[in-house]
Amino acid sequence: MTKELVCIVCPRSCRMQISMDGSEPVVTGNTCKRGRDFAVREMTDPRRTVCTTVRTAFPGVPVLPVRVSAPIPKGRIFDLMREVNRVTVTERLGRGDTVVPNILDLGADLIVTSNVLKEETKG
Amino acid sequence: MTTGSVDVLVVGGGPAGLAAAISAHDNGAKVLLLEREARLGGILKQCIHDGFGLLRFGEQLSGPEYAERFEDELHAREIEYRTLTFVTGIGQNEDGAFAVHTVGRDGVSVLYAKALVLATGCRERTAKQVFIHGTRPAGIFTAGTAQHFTNLLGQMPAKRCVILGSGDIGLIMARRLTLEGAKVLGVYEAKATPSGLTRNLHQCLHDYDIPLHLSHTVTRVFGSDRLEAVEISKVDETMSPIPGTAQRVDCDALILSVGLIPENELAEALGVQLDGRTRGPVCDGQCMTSVDGVFSCGNALHVNDLVDYVSKNAQQAGKAAAYYQAKPRRLIQMTPADGLLYVVPQRLNLNESNRATDLYFRVREDENNCVLHIEADGKEIFKKRYAFLRPPEMENLTIDFDSCGLNETSRVVLRLEKSAKETV
Amino acid sequence: MNTAAINKKLQKAFGGRFSAVEENGAVFVRGKSDDWNEIIAACQTAAEKYGATHVVNDIVYTGAQPLPMRLPSLRDDALNGRAPDVLIIGGGISGASIARELMKWKLDVLLVDKEADLALQASGRNDGEVHPGIDLGKGSLKHKYIRRANRMYADVCQTLDVPFHRVGQYVLFRSALLRPVIGLYALWRRLHDGIEDTKLLSGKELLRREPRLSPDTKFALWNPSAGCVCPYGLTIAYAENAVQNGAAVSLNTAVLSMEVRGHRIVSVNTNRGTLYPKLVINAAGVFAEDVAAMADDRFYSIHPRRGTNSILDQKAGAYMHSIASVKDLHIHGKNHSKGGGILHTVHDNLLIGPDAVETPEKENTETRPESIKTVFDKQTQTMPALSQRDIITYFTGVRAPTFEEDFILEPGRNTKNLIHVAGIQSPGLTTAPAVAVDMAALAVELLKKERPVEVNPAFDPVRKGVPVLRELDDAAREDMICKNPDYGEIVCRCEEISKGEILDALRAPICVPTLDGIKKRVRPGMGRCQGGFCSPLVTKIIAEFLGVPLADVRKSSAESVITFGETKNCKGGDEA
Repeated sequence: MTKELVCIVCPRSCRMQISMDGSEPVVTGNTCKRGRDFAVREMTDPRRTVCTTVRTAFPGVPVLPVRVSAPIPKGRIFDLMREVNRVTVTERLGRGDTVVPNILDLGADLIVTSNVLKEETKG
Repeated sequence: MTTGSVDVLVVGGGPAGLAAAISAHDNGAKVLLLEREARLGGILKQCIHDGFGLLRFGEQLSGPEYAERFEDELHAREIEYRTLTFVTGIGQNEDGAFAVHTVGRDGVSVLYAKALVLATGCRERTAKQVFIHGTRPAGIFTAGTAQHFTNLLGQMPAKRCVILGSGDIGLIMARRLTLEGAKVLGVYEAKATPSGLTRNLHQCLHDYDIPLHLSHTVTRVFGSDRLEAVEISKVDETMSPIPGTAQRVDCDALILSVGLIPENELAEALGVQLDGRTRGPVCDGQCMTSVDGVFSCGNALHVNDLVDYVSKNAQQAGKAAAYYQAKPRRLIQMTPADGLLYVVPQRLNLNESNRATDLYFRVREDENNCVLHIEADGKEIFKKRYAFLRPPEMENLTIDFDSCGLNETSRVVLRLEKSAKETV
Repeated sequence: MNTAAINKKLQKAFGGRFSAVEENGAVFVRGKSDDWNEIIAACQTAAEKYGATHVVNDIVYTGAQPLPMRLPSLRDDALNGRAPDVLIIGGGISGASIARELMKWKLDVLLVDKEADLALQASGRNDGEVHPGIDLGKGSLKHKYIRRANRMYADVCQTLDVPFHRVGQYVLFRSALLRPVIGLYALWRRLHDGIEDTKLLSGKELLRREPRLSPDTKFALWNPSAGCVCPYGLTIAYAENAVQNGAAVSLNTAVLSMEVRGHRIVSVNTNRGTLYPKLVINAAGVFAEDVAAMADDRFYSIHPRRGTNSILDQKAGAYMHSIASVKDLHIHGKNHSKGGGILHTVHDNLLIGPDAVETPEKENTETRPESIKTVFDKQTQTMPALSQRDIITYFTGVRAPTFEEDFILEPGRNTKNLIHVAGIQSPGLTTAPAVAVDMAALAVELLKKERPVEVNPAFDPVRKGVPVLRELDDAAREDMICKNPDYGEIVCRCEEISKGEILDALRAPICVPTLDGIKKRVRPGMGRCQGGFCSPLVTKIIAEFLGVPLADVRKSSAESVITFGETKNCKGGDEA
């Protein structure tokens, strides 16, 4: 069985084909190793990096951009969103700071992606 | 009223302006950057999704992360910048210096600069510009406006929405609103092919089972207060609605991702010549527009698909602005022919080095197995085979024109050769 | 009036399906039809243009029924029990200008409008032309007022701080054969109407003045007294000056019914309580006939006529600096509204339009692609360079003509404490300043029959609008920003509007804290991006000014929700 998929690792958007040769996956159409890795994982354990916002206690910056530090299983995205929506940031965190470590035991931290709150003076 | 004088004045503090300012500074110029908003970063402030910076940094950064890397560089160099500062007009003195009039919370200023870099970005095409008819309710947003409400103000602009246009921001917003709990009923695209990057079709639509309807458009909206429904019609090859195909879709928001238009009001006021295809200035290999000393870069020059290209292009503009001296130019045209929508730069200045000229081009329609030929005076100077080219995906090449023996009468043509092996 | 003659005409044209009878000094046309255009034709057959006897459309329309009048959702008793001297129904140009003129007397004046803002219907949806007064039948009220009002404009607009540009109007003719006829017409105008400034120009002279107009023009009629004004700006200014002088304006307030006893309106029911006015002024636009019916004083009908205008980018504004339209003297049936044209607005856009389409729907302001096409097909003949690509927005308004195609400016015929200011259509914006003076005088005359009315010595005619910072020179602008730094913070990039100007609009005598309210007053969102960049910022400024959550700010009406609340708390469409 051959499956067609589009690589989302980079904007090149390579169209790839993946098939199994025994237990060995065979990937074609990729132009780099990351593409191959993506294709293999997409077959067994598809993962996505989720970027969203988290509520803050500061009216001038009501929401703060965050992301997970590593891709999480695709099937857990909405669990993650529910968890993120429960959080309120009460400190002036900056880019790279962790909001929730190892969120939902997914092996990834929820981290801040902007200094907007840290740099905000009023509010 | 305050005044000041610099070598290079950069208008716009988004990714293009930031890269241009840093580059101009690094090439020895005294630089001032002006930004009309309260924070630097431009539109990237609200682009919280990742995917930025792969070409430049080899990392998948979110918009704010990408922009803030450049802001850090700006701060490290102590480059002067002003936020909440709006350019109201630009004049030119007899000695060629530009007089930039601004307003800000501290009053009016006139700033003098030897060279200008216009990094003013682009704006979104609106509902009326794509001739949507019907009522005028609340709930019709361009994707960027919806993104501002969602990502910067933490406000939900939609609960059940239809997205018109498959441009990248529309696709990104389809996913974003879905994550925040809205129901995205579908993305409708008048063209027969999608406008956004292929990977965005996959990670934004397919991942969330959001249908994409090609060759369909919104022809009418309903609702006198808040949007209640839209009428969707199938369109023919000329994108005209086909009678009898209209269907009503109940929704509370219509989000439009129907194209971006470079913002060139300041450039036009300076008399800068625009390219009808890019809607940005006509420029040379140094990003200089038709007006000497005025440089253009980023999405103001032409709409880019990747911010990485914006930064690269702006860096060139900043450098060229830093070295700018009034001297005659020897310009020749670069003409996009068969199958090409546009090429930037549109001309080359033979009085400057064109040893490593960055070319950006887009094709008119989807092409498979094609060959790009660059010819000077009928002689091929470059060719490259592409497995596929799509209009939404911009292509970038670096060409050495200095070794081509170009002179004032030379004509450079870019054309696309469709593959002869193409099967029917 | 001769109903026998009318019936004969109706018989001939419609085979007896419609008939006319005289009642209360008006001609009531009766019958039944599912064809709205046929109903209009029947009533027009019965009507005499500019006649003093009016046609009432009593024909039962069996076609697709128009929606009932839209009402505000608001229900309270904020106005309950109030007994103003004068109740004005309708916050368009007529109602607002009369309110202001009435404040020259010591009177308690209340103006109500069912919409969330003033000038939301015809007064806010027209081209803003101040007409020169040609092309109007002598003896009509339109004709009576037009020249007097046109001359008042510069002064009124200066006093009320409203932009008005007397840019002049060109009527283009493409057939040289017409020149003697039009020449005689201009002469006739001069002798009979005293319009002395109308001139004939050669095609060459026209193109010297406006090079983008049609090169096919053989000659043109030049009316230098024509001008343009911001129609909603003028309405708001009149209303604000009325409020400054003590009048009350209540928006989101709809008149629902009236109690009429002994030929007098005793009380007026609204969604905000019952009012007991001494005198009522009916300036309700397309709904004037409905107000007349409530007041038991039905003697005319309004037949709504839709028109769509397009606004072009300010870049296209440079194409032409005046008002122009081509005229071919083709007779396309009866066409009562002005044929439309191209107008350089006071905000430096070009406005193209309007068309004219009869409709049973008084409030249907939907735009349709065919309207834009009709208008552009016609006006590209005036100016070939015109392109739909330059359109930044378009809007539809509904005119409120009577079948006589003239204004109705008179006391009630059956009901005594009532004045009708009805049938106001083009050139109703132009005539408003003069009509308002006379209608206020008429109101005072009626009130004086019952009690003395004193002049208001404290009346201040001057209204100061929000300063327009972009029009100031650097020094004056610097000065303003020093006093108020908010004037230096630009919120709307296309129209260069500062936060200070937006806050000024919120602090104006009539505060309408909605996106549309602010847009109409100081223009953020009127430019080429149509609010794409500034609408979130303006929403935030309004929320902060009011001290409410952002989601409480509206586009216009109470139901015109912009956002549904915080992202983190929101339930999607399927779960809601």
